[in-house]
Amino acid sequence: MYAFEFEKPATIADAVAALGGEEAQALGGGQTLIPTLKQRLAQPGTLVSLKGIPEMAGICVADDGALAVGGATTHATVAASTEYPGLAGLASHIGDPAVRNRGTIGGSLANNDPAACYPAAALGSGATIKTNTREIAADDYFQGMFTTALEDGEIITEVRFPVPEVSNYQKFVQPASRFALVGVFVAKYADGVRVAVTGASEDGVFRWSEAEAALSANFAPEAIEGLSVDADGMIGDIHGSKAYRAHLVGVMTKRAVAAAS
Amino acid sequence: MARDEFEAERTTYNFVGTRPDRPDGIDKVTGRARFGADMTAPGMLHAVILRSPHAHAKIVKIDTSKAEAAPGVKAIVTRADFADGLDGENWNILENVMAGDTALYDGHAVCALAATSMLEARDAAKLVEIEYERIPHVTDVDKAMAPGAPVIREGADDGSVPAGMHPNVVRYHESGHGDVEAGFAKADLVLEETFKTEATHQGYIEPHACLGHMGTDGKGELWCCTQGHWNVQKVCAALLGTETSALRVTASEIGGGFGGKTAVFIEPVALALSRKANRPVKLVMPRADVFRATGPTSPASMDIKIGMTKDGTITAAKGVFRLSGGAFPEAPMEFSAMCAFACYDLENVLQMGYDVMSNRPKQAAYRAPGAPMAAFAVESVLDEMCNQLGLDPLEVRLKNAAKTGSKASYGPRFDQIGLVETLEAAINHPHYKAPLAEGQGRGVACGFWFNHGGETSVSLMLSEDGTAQIAVGTPDIGGSRASMALMAAEVLGIPYENIRCVIADTSSLGYNEISHGSRVTYASGLATIKAAKDAVNRMCQRAAAKWGIDPDAVYWEDGYAKPSGPNAGEFDPMHITEITANMGATGGPINGHFEATPEGAGVSFGTHIVDAEVDPETGHTKILRYTVVQDAGKAVHPTYVEGQYQGGAVQGIGWALNEEYIYGEDGSLQNALFLDYRVPVASDLPMIDTVIVEVPNPGHPFGVRGVGETGIVPPLAAIANAVSNAAGVRMRQLPASPPRILAALKDRDAG
Ligand SMILES: Cc1cc2nc3c(=O)[nH]c(=O)nc-3n(C[C@H](O)[C@H](O)[C@H](O)COP(=O)(O)OP(=O)(O)OC[C@H]3O[C@@H](n4cnc5c(N)ncnc54)[C@H](O)[C@@H]3O)c2cc1C
Repeated sequence: MYAFEFEKPATIADAVAALGGEEAQALGGGQTLIPTLKQRLAQPGTLVSLKGIPEMAGICVADDGALAVGGATTHATVAASTEYPGLAGLASHIGDPAVRNRGTIGGSLANNDPAACYPAAALGSGATIKTNTREIAADDYFQGMFTTALEDGEIITEVRFPVPEVSNYQKFVQPASRFALVGVFVAKYADGVRVAVTGASEDGVFRWSEAEAALSANFAPEAIEGLSVDADGMIGDIHGSKAYRAHLVGVMTKRAVAAAS
Repeated sequence: MARDEFEAERTTYNFVGTRPDRPDGIDKVTGRARFGADMTAPGMLHAVILRSPHAHAKIVKIDTSKAEAAPGVKAIVTRADFADGLDGENWNILENVMAGDTALYDGHAVCALAATSMLEARDAAKLVEIEYERIPHVTDVDKAMAPGAPVIREGADDGSVPAGMHPNVVRYHESGHGDVEAGFAKADLVLEETFKTEATHQGYIEPHACLGHMGTDGKGELWCCTQGHWNVQKVCAALLGTETSALRVTASEIGGGFGGKTAVFIEPVALALSRKANRPVKLVMPRADVFRATGPTSPASMDIKIGMTKDGTITAAKGVFRLSGGAFPEAPMEFSAMCAFACYDLENVLQMGYDVMSNRPKQAAYRAPGAPMAAFAVESVLDEMCNQLGLDPLEVRLKNAAKTGSKASYGPRFDQIGLVETLEAAINHPHYKAPLAEGQGRGVACGFWFNHGGETSVSLMLSEDGTAQIAVGTPDIGGSRASMALMAAEVLGIPYENIRCVIADTSSLGYNEISHGSRVTYASGLATIKAAKDAVNRMCQRAAAKWGIDPDAVYWEDGYAKPSGPNAGEFDPMHITEITANMGATGGPINGHFEATPEGAGVSFGTHIVDAEVDPETGHTKILRYTVVQDAGKAVHPTYVEGQYQGGAVQGIGWALNEEYIYGEDGSLQNALFLDYRVPVASDLPMIDTVIVEVPNPGHPFGVRGVGETGIVPPLAAIANAVSNAAGVRMRQLPASPPRILAALKDRDAG
């Protein structure tokens, strides 16, 4: 690790100001960033912790019924919430207790690891990512592996999830890291079904539109019988080939539909 | 030491067989225990080893000039800083510890430096300029012995290899008896199949770490985590060109070894740097280096042929075992061959082993080296034959089981052994009768390991208050300090809590072989009992002198010297505290000693039962239930024995389902991190049930057999059998990972 300055502001405004400094970087739960620093793969001048900002922590139901999750809310807090069972279920299977007690939703979405779980929930729920400057629809936010619509110094202050009628997340774990080898989030809304897939694609999290159409017509596992994603463009690595991942997308989607509640 | 020396000395015990708290527990949970990386010294430097990124490359040039000029750098060493003129195993160890003119595998050490801080050392390492010239490589064991494979080391054949084989085949083993062809002719069913397993790592959580300090006079001190510090002493002295006694080595507390810490990897490097810098040098291996450059097992490729009659009698068995120990001649193929059929009493058996060099790290021992893969292959074929003939797999094993007096497949006749007892216990265990649901399968397998005695010295020192210290030389890798104290308590007749067992350094006790071969509770235990008896004899002499009677007329019982009968005289029993309180005045300190190379380590057998469920849509396997049955001879501390059984099963689960070294096309290791290489953890597992069978080993005063290794022999096979029976498709390659199982299912469905 290289030496750095550390700041822990109490308001979003102060955080934004601190992040305006040279080589400053936001620090959420540090579950991704601290290991990166330890390996000296990054060299920020200042780390600005977002964990001391009350307006960024916690969960509430907004006037429109959407679930509003503060950008610095930990996975453990989301896992313990009851308003959106599909989302809570997803959070409860991220990493291990230590990771869940430190890691934050803002950090996860900002990082946009192609094998991370939250991106599937955000895209699968049509969530809105609120930052200090604007609101970004999930459909516009994710722009490929480790790439998002966020500008330099922009911070995720809140994520708004429209709560579906039923939903579920099914994750087939990479055996060692326990990230998603393939994770599928299915959410059924009054106006249709959304299916978001993480872990599988070289382009990061994506919506499986064919499955969405089929499930919107008939929300049952059989509806996607015969459908498949193209193995081209899937990730192939030591833990699973492109074809294996493409196969798992179908299996996990069916299981998510069957388990949706 | 011959077995007949021990009559059945005891049948009932006061301490042996109880489960007191472990003596190292509080140290470990409070952080007081000092592991390899916990040692520090004033003025200490930090070292970094630079490693080859190539699987096979000529080292054209190492330019250290920029690194030498970097801030904080105090010493840089290359091969030139170690002894030359070595041969045999010492040369091989040196060749692995620091490459000569060729880097032989991805991760091979080529240069090391020490600086005043870790960060300076890492920065300076980037300034070392190493020019490589890549040459063709091979990492697969079958490809390495195929025509045209790049030759790792010309002329490494030890003379045993049949003519016409590739020069990478460096050793050959053949053993057996009878006429296998005649045996196959008598069979109703003959099955021949080929199996493959990949290399795995022992997966100890503590990385290799040491602190070395050697002066320019060649005298030095070394603290390190190791399973055998006398071996470290001997090897380091040789590699540094100094006398063995000039180096004092202290073993730290050890965070797992499983065989992988029987080898020397980094200690000579720390000492060479220290000698050059004249400062203490600390060297801690990063995890990726632990994976790339220490301890994997040998990958194995095996052909098994077995003949069986309809009633389940094995008529003949033949096995061929091809193992690679990396770029060094030492794959344990003879252990694979010798253990493969050792569970069975066979008329006709033949086994052959080939040691094949390839561009992989130097293999190191991992619990029962070579045996688990052989058992996987053999026990899979047996399972398949039982399925085809409609026979119960445990009954078939019982029918063919080796018994006391059977001629072992590898030569000798078995002394008193307990395989039949483990099979009977398994057959009668509720697990074996429990119903299975759709999609679930049951697998069973037996396993064998030799066990070992080895050079051993123990001292036992009595204190004035009648308590005792035991100095042993075998690092405690499985709870042996508790077991030593229990055995000494049994002999001395004083409470377990009054005995402290420590691991002595190389300057305060005679030579001790490594903690390997499941030898510690057997050999150090035997020596502890003998040392305690030595001390008891001396105490009896003191009592006799006080009473003015013949020492032979005094015996020891429950902590008291007692006159042996009315003829000896009427005296009140004399307690140990009475004797030790005055020992200075009655003849001096009372200690007991014992040193020998005990040779009565009883062989050990186990039988495992496992239930698994395979998800037909993903290929994922879940272990539902697992029962280990194994012969311990006599379980000194049953909780630790159960821990060994459970640990063997768990490591076997990892090996069977998950763990493997994955090499890329370029010969580099692809998964040198715990984020890519998963060892099973508690949350992955069901409770592992254990049954301790006790068929006493006649070669130990209390009947002890080693239990550390046999437990990892059956699991690969038992799990593969469970998975194969659950999925309805035979898995002949491990690990049986989800993609591999799914592919096998698809192949089957495609016909
Ligand atoms: C052992 C382990 C297992 C894990 N398993 C899983 C898993 O199964 N599934 C899964 O999804 N994840 C997993 N993770 C990742 C975990 O969820 C991390 O918490 C998450 O990816 C990053 O969140 P963080 O709050 O720790 O962010 P940090 O590590 O602090 O930061 C990550 C990045 O986000 C930026 N950042 C942080 N907060 C914000 C914000 N509010 N706005 C803008 N930028 C911000 C930082 O500058 C940095 O670039 C695992 C991590 C570990 C260590």
